[in-house]
Amino acid sequence: MKKHPVSLTVNTDTYDLLIEPRKTLLATLRDTIGLTGTKEGCSTGDCGACTVIVDGKAVTSCMMLGVSADGKEITTVEGLASRDQLHPIQQAFMDKGGYQCGFCTPGFIVASKAFLDENPNATEAEIRHALGNNICRCTGYTKIIEAVMSAAEVMRNS
Amino acid sequence: MSEYAVLGKRVTRVDALEKVTGAAQYGGDVHLPGMLHGKFVRSAHPHARILDIDTSEAEKLPGVRAVVTQDDVESGRRVFATDKVLYLGEPIAAVAATDPDIAEEAADLIKIDYEVLPAVQDVMEAIQPDAPRLHSDDTKDGPARRAIRADLRKLERDKSQDHSAEIAELNAQLEAIEEDVYYNISAETHSAAGDIEQGFAESDLVVEDTYVIPRVHQTYMEPHVSVADADSTGKVTVWASTQGPFAIRSGIAGTLGIPLNQINVVATTMGGGFGGRFGVALTHVPAVLLSQKTGRPVKIQMTREEEFTDGRPAPGCVIKLKTGVKNDGTILAREGLAFWDSGSVSGASIGSTIRLRGVYKFPHLKVDAYGVYTNKSGTAAYRAPGTPQVAFAGESQLDDIARKLNLDPVEFRLKNMRVEGDPVPAGPNEPKVGYKETLQAVADAVDWKNRTQGPNQGWGVAIGDWTNGCGPGGMFVSIHEDGSARIFHGSMDITGTDTALAQIVAEILTLPYEEVTISRGDTNSAPYATGSGGSVVTFTMGNTAKLAAEDTRRRLLELAAERLNTDVESLELKDGKVSTIEADPPKSIGFGELAAYSLSTTGGPIVGKGSFARKPSTPALAAQIAKVEIDPETGRIKVLKMASSQDVGFAINPMAVEGQIEGGTVQGYAWATMEEMQYNEQGNVNPGFVDYRVPTTADLPTVEAVIVEVEAPDGPFGAKGVGEPPITPTLATMANAVADAVGIRITELPMKPEKVVDALHGNGK
Repeated sequence: MKKHPVSLTVNTDTYDLLIEPRKTLLATLRDTIGLTGTKEGCSTGDCGACTVIVDGKAVTSCMMLGVSADGKEITTVEGLASRDQLHPIQQAFMDKGGYQCGFCTPGFIVASKAFLDENPNATEAEIRHALGNNICRCTGYTKIIEAVMSAAEVMRNS
Repeated sequence: MSEYAVLGKRVTRVDALEKVTGAAQYGGDVHLPGMLHGKFVRSAHPHARILDIDTSEAEKLPGVRAVVTQDDVESGRRVFATDKVLYLGEPIAAVAATDPDIAEEAADLIKIDYEVLPAVQDVMEAIQPDAPRLHSDDTKDGPARRAIRADLRKLERDKSQDHSAEIAELNAQLEAIEEDVYYNISAETHSAAGDIEQGFAESDLVVEDTYVIPRVHQTYMEPHVSVADADSTGKVTVWASTQGPFAIRSGIAGTLGIPLNQINVVATTMGGGFGGRFGVALTHVPAVLLSQKTGRPVKIQMTREEEFTDGRPAPGCVIKLKTGVKNDGTILAREGLAFWDSGSVSGASIGSTIRLRGVYKFPHLKVDAYGVYTNKSGTAAYRAPGTPQVAFAGESQLDDIARKLNLDPVEFRLKNMRVEGDPVPAGPNEPKVGYKETLQAVADAVDWKNRTQGPNQGWGVAIGDWTNGCGPGGMFVSIHEDGSARIFHGSMDITGTDTALAQIVAEILTLPYEEVTISRGDTNSAPYATGSGGSVVTFTMGNTAKLAAEDTRRRLLELAAERLNTDVESLELKDGKVSTIEADPPKSIGFGELAAYSLSTTGGPIVGKGSFARKPSTPALAAQIAKVEIDPETGRIKVLKMASSQDVGFAINPMAVEGQIEGGTVQGYAWATMEEMQYNEQGNVNPGFVDYRVPTTADLPTVEAVIVEVEAPDGPFGAKGVGEPPITPTLATMANAVADAVGIRITELPMKPEKVVDALHGNGK
């Protein structure tokens, strides 16, 4: 299948790629660029494990074609921590035990970041609503919500 | 438990950093140079004869490197369907190509000719004489007939003399037996205690019901995946997300006839398992076959849709249950008959049917269970396999009895619970378990005696029991020259177990938790470890870790005694050093110095060994109370409160233990209210998250986890398995809460809104 030139920025690095039009953004990130922190849980946009931020909005990257990401700025879980410091959401997931198997965790953390960046004063109900697109099968969500609430507070105070 | 420095503390897990940064490497993250991608060709029918498989067009597609079918399986063990497909989505062939999309295109080009056969999906239809039969060798007899047939087979095999008269006699007996005969039977179990007829005769109240529990999927978030690399010398390496690397190794060896020592299984980080990630059939064996045929590494990753059609979910079942009690609330007798939906192969968790006895005395008990073949994929374990189903029936019926006798449902259960020394009906003796303590703890947590409820609100209570497993495990602990310790083992971390092992070793060696690191080896480099299922890891590997750490301590003391010119008895481990017990004169030596010193001793480096086979397992109880509110218009069940208590023996890491309780409870809630694999005559009809709903953050409030600690006699520091019990009561907890709220007993799960509305308006079955 004919490949198309695509230029996209992922976590501050720019990639000039040739990709088949049938490849998703998820496949582009994982297989072409080699950033495997973003996970594939359902391939149908229903579980949120593949959530990335595209131009400031949370997107399930299995539902976006790689060619559609041409010219976009993308943040994945690998782009959240700086060299010596975790993002407050990552730190909170660690401290509160907001993960178990960890497979859904990048999606939850990235979706939480996109939401809290826009809604720093979100209530628990709003957070629960906003994260309703992400499935976690291990935690029962109690500690995920605790982690996001606590991260929101840290982010407000910093 | 404040006497411990590290145990009982809410430490951050050893894998925290890699999990929150995306660095953890799961099966699908393995990418090898030259790697091919495999896809399956799957059956388009739930039951059909295969007349022809034509792979020629697929093989011509550029990029396709190999197609494998059952013809490639020399051992003859069933990896792919050959003569007959038994369920929609059963694999018939697999293709390897240079790109996953090319592999998928190629799979579509493989032509299968079928002769479609009638299929059976419902377990109660499958046992009927006119039901389609899946296997020619299934058992159609009840136990009495089965026994005679066994005798007949013996006589017929014995050619040394003429048995025709005896054979005729047995055949006559067979004809004469009037007993229930069930068809499509894959397995059966029968247990009894006391005299069931007498038990019912002595009862004042006898209640009979039938409960229907659906098949549900474990729905681990990471679909099955394997990467196999068969090299030119015959060695095979398999990267796999699996709960049992050593079981995978022997499974691949047995299925493909490869010597065990030629196979290395590298267990990657696992994206959930819940019991569903033990088998070799789904991706591991096909990936090895394709790699052997192509000489290239091959990755096979199932899609979520494939997980639903060809995963190995938890069996549904139909349970007929009868319970007899005295008017004062003394339980006397219970009789259960269960039909478990095994799918196309045997293996449903029918053995758990005995847990219909719960943790009650039941002087009279009779339990019969059958596994039944249907045209569905086979089943596997799912968190306390079989027990949520059974506890749903048992605890729903007890709730009805309490209501009929006007007894408080908590008091009624407490009255009938076993205590230490009571015989376990048709079961092994048990040590002290905190049955009553656990139920009381959850009742206290919600202030049960003073509970209040508004209109359409109700409270439900239920319990569920489980016994943690125990298996063999080996482990080494070594001390580095910087004084830190490292654990080497081969057991899969199942959401926090590595952390518990590090805590145990740190405690015994008096090291800070951060000074203990952990290396999980592949099957070539780690000692054998039992699979991570059955709430086995903390119990088994925890005991192993204790032994390994104690052995390490022994060597540290021995080396320190040499260095300090004293004897071992006058020394102790303290704050990561070996010190004299008597302060005068105070002498101590660090682990690092001892590790460096050990390198030049005749005894050699410090390597502690732990090797462990089996100790008596310990039962555990989970108890839950939910408060719900029903919307009578929509039938929606809103959970207002959910408290979940559990006797965990000793919580090595309370944060991880709470996480298990919370997660298991929510899985049970989902089984009760939303999850159900649905089938029609064409097979599974809801293979995705849109139609197969699992809960999200929007569905229910915080779960209140209540930890009860009644020391397990053989557990490490009194700990017992934690993972499985919390799912066991929830199906009944929710049904009992609904019954309390609106006076309607729902006996068929899940309690989806439409079912609740139908029941409220008398439209139900």
